[in-house]
Amino acid sequence: MTLLAHELRLLLRQRLTVAALALLSALTVASLGAGLAEVARQRAAIAAIPAAQAEDIGAVAGFVDATKDAGSAAYYSFHPTWDAPAPLAFAALGMRDVSPYIMRVRALGLEAQVWDGDTFNPELALPGRFDFAFVLVFLAPLFTIALFHDLHSGEREAGRERTLNALPGSSALWRRRTGLRLLLLWAALALPFVIAAAVEGVAVGTILLVVLLIAAYLLFWTEQAALVSRLRWSSVANAATLAAAWLVLVLVIPTLANVGINAALPVNQGAEIAMAQREAVNRAWDVPREDTMRRFYAHHPEWADSAPLGPAFHYKWYLAFHQNGDESVADRVRAYRGGLEARDAAGRALGWVLPSVGVQGLLTRLARTDLQAQLAYQDRIRAFHQRLRTFYYGYLFRDRPFAKADFARAPRFGDRPDG
Amino acid sequence: MSAATLIARDELRLLRRNRVAVIAVALLVLLTLTAVATSWAHRRGIEALRERQQHGAEAAFEAQPDRHPHRVVHYGTFVFRPLGPLAAFDPGVDAFTGNSMFLEGHRQNSANFGDVRQSSLLVRFGQLTPAFVLQVVAPLLLIFLGYGALARERERGTLGLLMLQGVSRGSLVRGKFLALGAVATIAGLPAMLGFVAVAGQPGAPALPMAVIAAGYLAYLAVWVVVVLLVSALVRRSRDALLALVAIWAVTAVLLPRVAPDVAGAAVPLRNRFQTDVAVARDLRRMGDSHNPDDPHYAKFKRDVLARYGVARVEDLPVNFKGVQSVESERLSSELFDRYSGESYRDQERQIALVGAAGVVSPTVAIRSLSMAAAGTDFAGHRRFLDQAERYRYALVQRLNRMQADDVSYADDTAVDAGADRRKRVSATNWQAMPDFAFAAPTGAVLARAALPGLGIVMGWLAVVVLLLTLATRRLGETR
Repeated sequence: MTLLAHELRLLLRQRLTVAALALLSALTVASLGAGLAEVARQRAAIAAIPAAQAEDIGAVAGFVDATKDAGSAAYYSFHPTWDAPAPLAFAALGMRDVSPYIMRVRALGLEAQVWDGDTFNPELALPGRFDFAFVLVFLAPLFTIALFHDLHSGEREAGRERTLNALPGSSALWRRRTGLRLLLLWAALALPFVIAAAVEGVAVGTILLVVLLIAAYLLFWTEQAALVSRLRWSSVANAATLAAAWLVLVLVIPTLANVGINAALPVNQGAEIAMAQREAVNRAWDVPREDTMRRFYAHHPEWADSAPLGPAFHYKWYLAFHQNGDESVADRVRAYRGGLEARDAAGRALGWVLPSVGVQGLLTRLARTDLQAQLAYQDRIRAFHQRLRTFYYGYLFRDRPFAKADFARAPRFGDRPDG
Repeated sequence: MSAATLIARDELRLLRRNRVAVIAVALLVLLTLTAVATSWAHRRGIEALRERQQHGAEAAFEAQPDRHPHRVVHYGTFVFRPLGPLAAFDPGVDAFTGNSMFLEGHRQNSANFGDVRQSSLLVRFGQLTPAFVLQVVAPLLLIFLGYGALARERERGTLGLLMLQGVSRGSLVRGKFLALGAVATIAGLPAMLGFVAVAGQPGAPALPMAVIAAGYLAYLAVWVVVVLLVSALVRRSRDALLALVAIWAVTAVLLPRVAPDVAGAAVPLRNRFQTDVAVARDLRRMGDSHNPDDPHYAKFKRDVLARYGVARVEDLPVNFKGVQSVESERLSSELFDRYSGESYRDQERQIALVGAAGVVSPTVAIRSLSMAAAGTDFAGHRRFLDQAERYRYALVQRLNRMQADDVSYADDTAVDAGADRRKRVSATNWQAMPDFAFAAPTGAVLARAALPGLGIVMGWLAVVVLLLTLATRRLGETR
């Protein structure tokens, strides 16, 4: 223990080391603060939904009540959905800045709604967020390099290496020095993280996993330093080589791989879904309405006993062709989604060989801020939208009046786990 | 041959003998060429795809059968943002904004299907473009090759020897600058070659390209000078390297991320949900078309009747439903413009805050210069949004007027079996509608937008040159 304390004293006597550790802690704390603030902002935005929604739906209820027309209620009522940030989201904001986490839907064609985005400033999103994941993946390796590049070469250049190696227990000395540096780096990252995670109520198992992930990632960079140090170059050459390795592993390969993946796995553009759906929906005005209803009833026999259409406009026909429109592009949607998932899987696969990508992927997965989380939110929107349809169809296809009190009976997002 | 040239030659000879240096430069050149090739192919691919989709959307619009004009208001149309030729150099926010937009009546839709939501997580690691290579990677190369330029001479005691031989401090530093500057030129050249290929494209604007070239030249010069400055000030070359890598990590990697985060927190944006609710609220206040006794629409109706000197809407020479649609579209569009204008202003304030960070990070400055000149910044996206909205409004109002003029009120309100047929107007009308044509900004507009960034980069250059001049005077003094 005294030996370790001695090493610690030696280490902390180096200005560079102390400055590096202090800076890393400060950056970690700042990134956690930024992440927490962003998550708090998102929670506040979600908490502000009910008041605004009540006002909006109240106005709709006001004018629909005059006609008691369920179709108008379905047409004019927007229902909010939201994707609350997971406890760990503050540490890895992932896609939450470019994908919507609040979305209003109505019982019309979903494919014309579900791909909409929220307002965000693209120039702010472009460089990526300053979150804990960034500090860990991008910056922590640079600090590891700063602390490890002269572990051996520094002693050699000071003319002490031979003496040190000749001492009994010299390998324990190097282990101690390596372990100590690693521990300090790890503490600078992990301790602030654990505090923030505890405050946010992250599950203990998840915290443990992240803390281990931090250690493993630091260990990887320590290994790189050890490998380079075997070449017995000067401290300067070590530092340059390690920084170059950082550049390649953290910046160059991921960007190259991104180009490669997007070229190798073409995704049929999402805009084509929107266009095809619009074509299918609007065609209904130009074909006999009975054809539309026949097709709809074939897929949804539970409503087939509804009264036949009269000459006047009826919203059940309108909603039926919207649903037909959605169903006509279901294959395209599946293919599009499959393409997105294939690209995501390819990116993740790279994570198995490239620790920077692996750490980022794992953190965003644990934080539920990755593409899978976005798609899961979309699935919940789809399930909720289905409930909305069923709800309004119950009035429309049975010709039941839709009174003011019925607005309160509409399904609410989040009162079921699947949306 | 002057002393400075001799020093430069010597330094370059040394670099040529350094195998690691040669490999590093070669790798950078290779990386840039890859970036040039992929960006080029990417832009070409996107351009072709969007053009095809735009034509598809136009063809679909024109192929509509006879329809009621209001159906066409809802059928709407799709527009796709074209990508300027300089996007091959710096695609900017292209991947982060939706690039297709559905235009319809009564609604202002978001631009959807941006690449950022269609790519793997790797897209957030950055994009391999010539601009990225020059902004981030090239400075690190200059650091690796130049950190020892002066520190080494002092460390080894050769600095004193050179001075004894009558080499002035000034010519020594100038010589090192020439050598490192030559490396910077070699590093920047492949990206500029890609530029020349872009210049061969039709419609490539010369002025912004000149600004970009000047900007990157100055940017790399800033780094060359900073490298020499630190190398002159720091006692040991190892410390020079670590200090330079730290400076690079802070200015090229950290600040470009921190500045937007700070700006985003300082100027929060109203989200879409709150905007939609607010628009609906304001619309109700201005005039509720669902309310038969609404004062605004009641007055509007009286005015229309008075204008035509009739007592009943049935007696109007135009279809009152169409006239009313024109009015309600006017009201709602005014609101859309107000709310989107507020949002754009907020986003521009955010960007101005980030731009101010250029004072502490030249990378932030060159980034905004580069995107602005390439027309791929937020302002470029906004140009598209504004033009799309203008087109949407004109299209919808044309259709509404068509409803007013070409569909009679009696037919429009009829519900008999043949009414549907009588309400429709001829399909030839759809072909007569003008297509969306994005008016690309002129070179002068782009170049002017890039001037603030260029100013900051030039300011950086002036400051660091001044600092290097001061440091040169004290070079070799024992402290």
